[in-house]
Parts: sequence; structure tokens; C-alpha cells
Amino acid sequence: MSSAVPAGNFKPPVIQASFLSKWYGDVIGLNGMNVIIHEGITGIVGPNGAGKSTFFKLVMGTIKSNAGDLLVFGQRPWGNWRQLSSIGFCPDYEFLPLDMTGNEYLRFLGGLQAMEKNALEKRIAEVAIIVRMKKDMDRKMGGYSKGMKQRLKIAGALLHNPKLLLLDEPLSGLDPISRRDIIELIKSLNRDYGHTVIVSSHVLHEIERMTHSIALIYKGRAVASGVISEIRNLISQHPHNIILEGKNMAELAKALIDRSYTYSVGFNNNRNSITVKVTIPEEFFDSMPELVEMTGARIERMFSQDDNLESVFKYMVGW
Amino acid sequence: MELNKIISPVLSIARYSTRKILFNRRWILSLIIAVLVGSIMGYAATLVDEPLDSGATLLDVLILSFIMPIIAMIYGSSLIRNEIEDRSITQVIIAPLDRRIAYFGYYISLAFALSIIMVLINLIGWLAFYAQRGMDGDSLAILASMCLVSIMGSLAYSALFLASGVFLKKPVYFGLFYAFIWESFIGSIPGAISHFTVRHFVRSVAAGWVNYGSIGTYDGSPVSVSIAVLVGITVAFLVLGAIVFDKSEYP
Repeated sequence: MSSAVPAGNFKPPVIQASFLSKWYGDVIGLNGMNVIIHEGITGIVGPNGAGKSTFFKLVMGTIKSNAGDLLVFGQRPWGNWRQLSSIGFCPDYEFLPLDMTGNEYLRFLGGLQAMEKNALEKRIAEVAIIVRMKKDMDRKMGGYSKGMKQRLKIAGALLHNPKLLLLDEPLSGLDPISRRDIIELIKSLNRDYGHTVIVSSHVLHEIERMTHSIALIYKGRAVASGVISEIRNLISQHPHNIILEGKNMAELAKALIDRSYTYSVGFNNNRNSITVKVTIPEEFFDSMPELVEMTGARIERMFSQDDNLESVFKYMVGW
Repeated sequence: MELNKIISPVLSIARYSTRKILFNRRWILSLIIAVLVGSIMGYAATLVDEPLDSGATLLDVLILSFIMPIIAMIYGSSLIRNEIEDRSITQVIIAPLDRRIAYFGYYISLAFALSIIMVLINLIGWLAFYAQRGMDGDSLAILASMCLVSIMGSLAYSALFLASGVFLKKPVYFGLFYAFIWESFIGSIPGAISHFTVRHFVRSVAAGWVNYGSIGTYDGSPVSVSIAVLVGITVAFLVLGAIVFDKSEYP
């Protein structure tokens, strides 16, 4: 079983999933997923449809698994509503009642948590400061920007001061400034307030800005988990596809075949475009200036087919 | 378990949902219906000879037999189902609260809001009619009885239609069938088959309390039996709805 935790962490896991499966009719949401998540910030990374939201819903107990086992703080979540006082959830979809103000909405959530009135008002003021929404709490949410709505959703998840925070795609649809702010907020929630945060995204580099512990999910499976650098090493052991377009590509292709890092070379639709499969991309890129000079090739365009996350996952599952 | 851990979330859901029911755009529909009832009864007041009989008959035909099940269907079948569809139900589902208790919060809000709407419609109809024909003790007794029966009907219909919203993905089709075909059509057929409607028992209670008009002569079931059946329907659908709500998944 893979574990999204740096070596040396011996605390009991926050979440432990063993062969966890969930399907919706013919559609598979999770497929025998194994993962262990410890305290701190953990990124759940995977392309759209990989099963990230399904995993969160299983952790929250809003849906029931079809097979396998899931333990959250050592307990099964389905039907375990008492445990929900330890978990805060910020879903990836919009559901805020737009005719309410931020304060009214948080009072409603506080009521659901059975928070006492004075304590609730104090806590609302606290979380408004944490998510930097203090000035806007008396405004109707219909007038909020996407970033403000995201902050208020996080405030709602934080309100009852849960041990575990689940943030599903919190950066989705945000502008760069809001993304930066939310990333800083998430880091602060763990560093300054001690929350264990599990955050999902389909963008690896965004997660890297928050944490080094990640679990990669693809097609309902955790294909790897651990420290990002280890996973990057795993990825780099697989051949990378690089496309080169320009003039005199035939000469360049011949020269590339002799290189030790080259796995294969092939022409694409015409002789001005080749695909090179390399085992050590760093050496390939380092040697390119020399090869271009040697062969007289004129490269107009060079790009990797594997920069997107989908390719990374294909590597991980051996495609 | 501390009582506050139950009462506070239930009240929170009830307040939130009541606000949604009473202040969303559908209040226009309730207003139109109230104006329609007021207009019909106001106009009828200028035509009839026996105001006590005619007023009671109009309140029975317009409100108890027709408007109440339809308004209950419109509000009840969509209350939870809309939240499931737009996924705003998440905020309730992820609260540390027994879902069966949360369901009860929704029921309270629906029954409360529906009762208010029905009492207001009764009041508007009654004022439009009896303001012209004399508001004496008898007419006030008719109003009080019809309001009380409307509240009892609201409690039963709320349980029925709220449950339909958790049993069915498209409860509005069931609601339309039930309100228009079952309650209105089957409920109008003379004989025992009409007894299989909520309307029959609501009107039976009214028949025991109002001695005027069509409702005064309605050949219904005994009042005590009718009240027991209405309570039974309310409790049965509340319990069934709460169980299904508790066991359902909310993707």
C-alpha cells in the first residue's frame, strides 16, 4: 500500500484506504484504491474524472463504497455522522445560497454544528479574518467574485475548527492572484492553525506549491503516493515523447539514433516532423545545441507530449 | 445526547428552508392563488342568498379540495429534491447530525410554511366574502375551523410530498398525478374509493366542525377516525422519508 507521507512519520494515519472501490452503475469512480494519508498537507492529484471527488465523498460518508475498506481517524465514515464534527469539507461545486450574506450563511452552518451563539459569533469573526473576508461578510453572496466564494466555502469548512480539512479543487476557475492567495491560505491552515489538509487538483505544480506529499490518482487508482521528488524520479525512468519540427529533420533523426538516451525515433506525418522517445530527457535537452549544429537542422518547434498530467499517469500505469 | 445538539441544527434547517420556501419566487404563485380565491369569493358574495352556506362551500371547494394539495405538491416535492439536484444538500449532509433528524427539520419548515400560506389564503377568501356579508360569530367559527383543518391537511400533505422528493428523482410527475388525478378526480368519485385520499379525511374533519354548506353535509368518516388517519399518514410518511433520506447516497 502506498503512503503519502515522508519517512519517519509514525503517527496513526488520518485516512487509510484499502482496495477501496466505488462505481456508479457502469461508471467506475474508484477502482481498488490503496492509500494512507497522514497529518500535514497532502495533495491528491489526478486528471478530471480520476476519482478525486469520489474519494472525498467517501471520506465524508456522503456516498458508500462498493468494495474495500476506508478508515478515517480509525473509523468507517458511512453512517458515522458523529465523526463529521472532526472534518470540514469544501466541495468543488457551487452551492452557496446567493441571496444570503456571508455572515448569515456561516450562522446557518454554525447552527448545523450546534455551536453556541456567542461562541459562533466569535468564531465567525475569526474565520472571516483567516480567509480574509472580514469586510465582505455582510454582503450578499450573489455579489461575490469566484475567489470570494471559494474563500467563504473554505470558511464554512473551517467554522467548527475540524481536525481534517478536505478541499476539493479549491483553485479551480480562480484568477492567478486568487490562486496565489488560496495557496498561501491553505499552507497557513496547516502551518499556523494545525489543520490536516487534503487538497485535490489536476495541476501538479499547483500542489507542489503547497506540499511535498502527494497521491497520484488515475482512473480510480492511487498509482503512486509519497514525496513529490520520489514520484518525479519514478516518472523520469520512463521514456518521454518529444516532438521536433523544422527543416533537415532526417539528418537530426540519424544523429539521434546513435545516442544512448534515445529509445526510438520516428517520422510523423511529413519529413519535417519527428517524434523522439528518450529515456533521459535531461541529457537529450543538454545535447540538442550540439546536435543541431552538427546536422545543420533548423528546429522551428520542439515540445514534449508528456508535459500534461494525463501522460504522467499513463507512465505510472505502464501505458 | 445533549438536546441542544438536536434542537439547534433542526431549527437551523427549519429557518433556512422556511426562508427559501416563503421568499423565493414562488411566493408570486401563492399570491396569485390568494388573489384568485379572494376575487372568486368576493364576487360570489354579491350573488348568493345564504352567506354562511355559500362561504363555507367555497372555502371547501376552492381551498380544501383543490388548492391545498396543489400548493403542497409544488412546495413539498421540490424542497429536498431541488437541494439534492443542485447539491446544496451537501451542507446539511456533512453536518454532524443524524440525517433522520435533519429530515425532520425540513419537514418542520415545509409544514410551517404551508400552514402559513393556507391560513393566509383562507383568511383572504373569508375576508373577501364575509366582509361584504357580515363577519359574525358563525362566520368566524367557519374561518377558525377551516384554518385548523387546513393546518392539519398541511401537516399530512407536507409529509407525503416531502417524502416523494426523497423517494423519486422526478417527484413532480408523481405530484401532478397525485394532486390532480388521485386527489381531485378519484377523491370526487362517490363511494368508498374516495376514502383513499387525504382530501377525504381532511374534509371529514371539517365536516365534523363546520355545519354549513357542502362541507356541513359531507358524508365523511368520523372526526376521531379521520384525525387518527391523518396523523397516521403524517407519521408514516415522515418515518419512511427519514429512513430513505438517511440511507441514500448523495454524490
